[in-house]
This record gives sequence, structure tokens and C-alpha cells, in this order.
Amino acid sequence: MSGESSSCPHIQAELSENFGEAIYPRFKQVVTWNVHRSAAVRAPKRRRISPPRCGVCDLALSRPFACLHCDAAFCWEHGHAITHSKQTNHTFCVDAKSGRLYCSQCDDFIYDPTLDELYTRTVVSAEEKETRFQESKNLREPFKPWSPTDKDTSALENANLLPCQSRRGLVNLGQTCFLNVVLQCLVHNPLLRNYFLGDKHNWRNCKLDTCTCCEMDKLFTEVYSDDPAPYGPTSFLHTLWKVASSELSGYAQQDAHEFFIATLNQIHSTCRGSTNVSCNCVIHSTFAGQLQSDVKCERCGNTTSTIDPTLDISLELKGNLPENTLAACLRRYTQPERLGPKEYSCSKCAKGSPEASKRLSIRKLPPVLSIQFKRFEQRTNDKSRKIDTPVRFPSSINMAPYTTLVMKEMEKENASGPGAGVPFSYLGPEALYEYDLFAVINHEGQMDNGHYINYARFQDEWYRFDDDKVTHTSLSAVLASNAYMCFYVKRHLDYKPYQTPTYVLMREKEEQKERERELKEREREAKGGGSMASPRIVGGGGSENKDMEIEDEIWATV
Amino acid sequence: MAPDTQALYAQIRHRLIETGEWDQIRGVLVTRLNESGWLDELKNRGKERGRDMDPTTFQAIYDELRPSASSSMSPAVKKEINAVIKQHLDRHLL
Repeated sequence: MSGESSSCPHIQAELSENFGEAIYPRFKQVVTWNVHRSAAVRAPKRRRISPPRCGVCDLALSRPFACLHCDAAFCWEHGHAITHSKQTNHTFCVDAKSGRLYCSQCDDFIYDPTLDELYTRTVVSAEEKETRFQESKNLREPFKPWSPTDKDTSALENANLLPCQSRRGLVNLGQTCFLNVVLQCLVHNPLLRNYFLGDKHNWRNCKLDTCTCCEMDKLFTEVYSDDPAPYGPTSFLHTLWKVASSELSGYAQQDAHEFFIATLNQIHSTCRGSTNVSCNCVIHSTFAGQLQSDVKCERCGNTTSTIDPTLDISLELKGNLPENTLAACLRRYTQPERLGPKEYSCSKCAKGSPEASKRLSIRKLPPVLSIQFKRFEQRTNDKSRKIDTPVRFPSSINMAPYTTLVMKEMEKENASGPGAGVPFSYLGPEALYEYDLFAVINHEGQMDNGHYINYARFQDEWYRFDDDKVTHTSLSAVLASNAYMCFYVKRHLDYKPYQTPTYVLMREKEEQKERERELKEREREAKGGGSMASPRIVGGGGSENKDMEIEDEIWATV
Repeated sequence: MAPDTQALYAQIRHRLIETGEWDQIRGVLVTRLNESGWLDELKNRGKERGRDMDPTTFQAIYDELRPSASSSMSPAVKKEINAVIKQHLDRHLL
């Protein structure tokens, strides 16, 4: 990545000699070995892998530090990796697990962007060869890094680099803190950010009158501009009032979660190429997961499964949780639940309504996991109350134990006792199940009279957003806060292989239509020999033609 | 460790790593430490300490954090992991 520099002059010197030929192969070999080893011991048909031994003390290595200059590996905890470098003048060794390099001359772990990228590519490439798709048995589509076309390169050459760290406060326009916190969480969503900063929905070219997707584009433009002053999202609010039902209008305090879901649906419906079923729009590509509900007849064991799409997960806080943690909430969410006698009748065993149990699981994990803690309890006697119980949530979470596939595997293991509930042998690399926290919404105060604030992460730094007031904060402050909503993003994205997104297909269709139109126009001119002086009108208006040109230009940069 | 114990330890260690059980035990440990907040506490302390330290080196932060990291592990987690290790050892040593 441009602009990033190495923290170690020694690695820079090493890499500039023969383009790093001396250490790249060994580096890749070690990293690849670790991927295959991890997969082998975790495979359902576990394979034994003989561990390397420390070149100094001969102990079997659970976490080898491999020398990059020879075939040896060492343990870290007894200092033997360092002993080796001192004895041999072999400068670099690598931690097989993390790919981090240790430089014995700097006497520290070092960072180098070239090696960092090489590590990621090597891991991805090795993992791609490991797991096949369940049904098709195909291998994963190999990752191809983006390489600029000539058009891209010239566009980039003439572009100005702007610092855009998105730390812009939002002005409260009258009880609109619920709106501000949701907008901040959307703005800090890496997938949405990339979509809108990548100009995939440019408000200047959109044909729709009232378009929430355009409002998002405008918002991103403002927040990622170099104006640091707080921004008032007036046009967003205006559009919201136009499209939302009467519940979301007016100056009353609204529920942030309700607004979040409504906004997602609004953006989806105004996205180019969105569909009602299996939609591929940016919202569904980002937030959509699938929940599976299995209802099992306790008498005959017959199980009926239903699959429902979902944009988020809402977790109950009522009742007694064994611990006030996100994991405990998720365990409760996915635990079997007894169905009452009247609620179920089995199609297989004819007699009456036997006992049945229902179990939820996550069949498909979304790239962005949105979690809501149900703090606002609507009671029947109209006395609603807010559940203020703090819930501990982590900065990283592995969602495997709550997925359908893994839960099925876990049924074979003990449900209680030491080590229970931690799955080990499951399909796919762990990275596919790992999520990192990037935003949190808090609600302070009572139900009707409260205030929303949010936290959001930019790279490794956390910030606190209180309407227009933005302050730097720490991870511990975020985790100590009383969360209402949490947003996690998958660490490594996976994608449907060998597919073209619907908006790209639509664009190609429209380009085809434009080509046909131009062809017809040329034929007409050739036949009719129209005046050279009269302006060419294509598609009904000069300005529309210009719009098309601009649109095509912009789409061409995508 | 007495030489006999050392030899036995080396043998068991080799076996547990070879079969992947070492990773499995570690997996339980990491999950429990994460859920108890220990992992994030350490991550935060390391990060904030590194921010103030000049020069920042891994060894300096590690040396500073290690003692309290050991002691701040919840007894319940320690107990559970010991039980998991024992389960695996029982299988191998029988």
C-alpha cells in the first residue's frame, strides 16, 4: 500500500537484494505449512502431523519460530530463537502462526508492508486449496488482487489524495441522536464505505426523485470531505420523513434499532439492481444472513427446517442469564426451546400433538453482523421498561458455535463438562467465522427520555460520537459501556464464486442498449443525411445525453 | 523438573501437539479468556502502554504485562483448563 513504510531498515536491505529471493520462498513455505497443519488437525478426519522440534532444546514446537535463513525452527518462550540468531548471524525468524517477523538486529518484532501483504496472500492461497464447497465440491475461487487498467492508472495519476478519516460529528437537528448514531455506524461500516467511496451510487446521476441510497452517498461525501466541522444531515432527515411511515416522522425520539432496519430497507429499495428475492444489493451483500429454525418432534425425531433471511440478530435480556455476556446471549438464542403441546403437530407420527423442541441456528453468516440487545421491553399492561443490565461483549468473536453446520457437529460432543461448547473440528478455516467489533450504540437514560451516543473504530483507534462532539477514546472505554447495539465485521470476506453482481449485469445491459441506440442513430444519419448543424438528440434531450456520458464514464471507473 | 519428569513431559507434549489436542486445549483456553474479558483487557493495556513507551519494543511490553496477566486469569478458567488437560492426559496415560 502506498505511503506505508517498513519499521526496520534491515528487512528493507534484505528485500532489496535480489527482490527478496533469499527469504520469500522460506517465508511462504513456513506460512503455508501452518495453514495446512491447522486444517489437518482440525479436519473431521483428523490427521496427525509430526511437529517440528526446537533446534536448541529439541522440544516439540506448538508455535514454531522458523529461521528464514536455514531450515531450523525454535521455541520462543525459552529464548532459543534469539539464541540461534546470535550464534549464526541469521537475522530474521518468523512466527509461523501470525507471520510476524523478528529482527535480531532491531531486537524486536518488525513491520514490513511487503511481507505483510505476502503473508495475507500466502494464507489465502493456501486456505483456498483446503476446503471445497459442500455441494458442488468445487474449490474456492482463487483470490485475484486488483490491478489497475490503463484507464485506472491515468485516473489515479491525476487524482488528489485527500486525508479522509471520517471523524466528523453530526449536528442534532432536534431529538435526532437516534439518527446520528445509526448514520455514524453506517459511515464506519467498511463495506458500505468502500461501496460509496467507490462511487457505486453517485447521487448526481441517479434518476430517482426520493432516494435514500443517494442520501447515503451525500453523507459519505460530506463525512469523508476535508471539512472537520460538524455536519447537519438535513437532506437525509427530509428524505426520511418523505418515505418513512408516520411512526418515524416528527421530532419525537425514535428507537435507533427500528430506524436502522427501516434505513437498510430504504437503501435496498433505492439501490440499482435490487430484487425482492435473493437480492444482491449492497445492503443485502453486507448485512443479510440466514437463520435456520429446526423443529423436532420429540416422539419420532422428525425434524422440519425453515430458513429465514435476516438483516440482524436481536437477543433477549429478560430472565436469568448464567453470565451477562454476548456469548451467553448467543448460547441462549441457539439453545433448544420446548414448544407447548398446542404449538406443534407432527406430520410423521399421526397421533395428536407430541412434545416438540425448536432450535435456532445461523445458517449463513453475514459479512457484517449487527446485534441488538432487547433493552426496551414492551409489556402488555402498557408499562414498558428499559433493561439496563450491562452485557460484556468482546472486541473479537468467533461465531462458529452458533452456526447450523457446526452446531450439528457439536451435537456429537458433550454438552456440558470441561471444555464444552467450544467446537474444534469444523469445516473451513477459523478466519471465516471470526468477527471484529467496529461500532457500538449506547442508550443512556430512560425509555422516553434518553440519549444515544455511539463508538466507532477507524483502523485501530476508537472514537466516541456524541452528536457533534467527537473524542478519541480507548478500547476499554468502549467495552465498559452499556451496549444497545454492536456491529461486527467478518475478518476475512468470503464471496460467492464465479458470479457477477446484479448491478454489473444491469450496467452491461444498459451499455448494450446504448450501443444499439447509437448504431440505429448512425444508420438513420447515413440514410437521412441530417443537417450537420442541428444538434444530435439521443434519447430525448441534450442534457440527458450528457448525463449518460457522465454516468458511463463513472461506471467505467468502477 | 527432574530428568524423568522432563522426559515424560517432552513425550506427552509431542503427542498432544501431533494429534492436534494441544491446539484443541488452547482453543478452549482462548475462548474462555475472551469471554471473561481477559483477552481484551490485555490487548487494551498492551496498546495503551505501547502508545506511551519510547522506544516501543515487544519484549518491554511483554515483560511488563506478563506478571499481572498471569494473576488476573479467573480461577474458574484455570480450573476448567486443568480439567480439560487432565481429560486428555488420562486418555494417553492409561
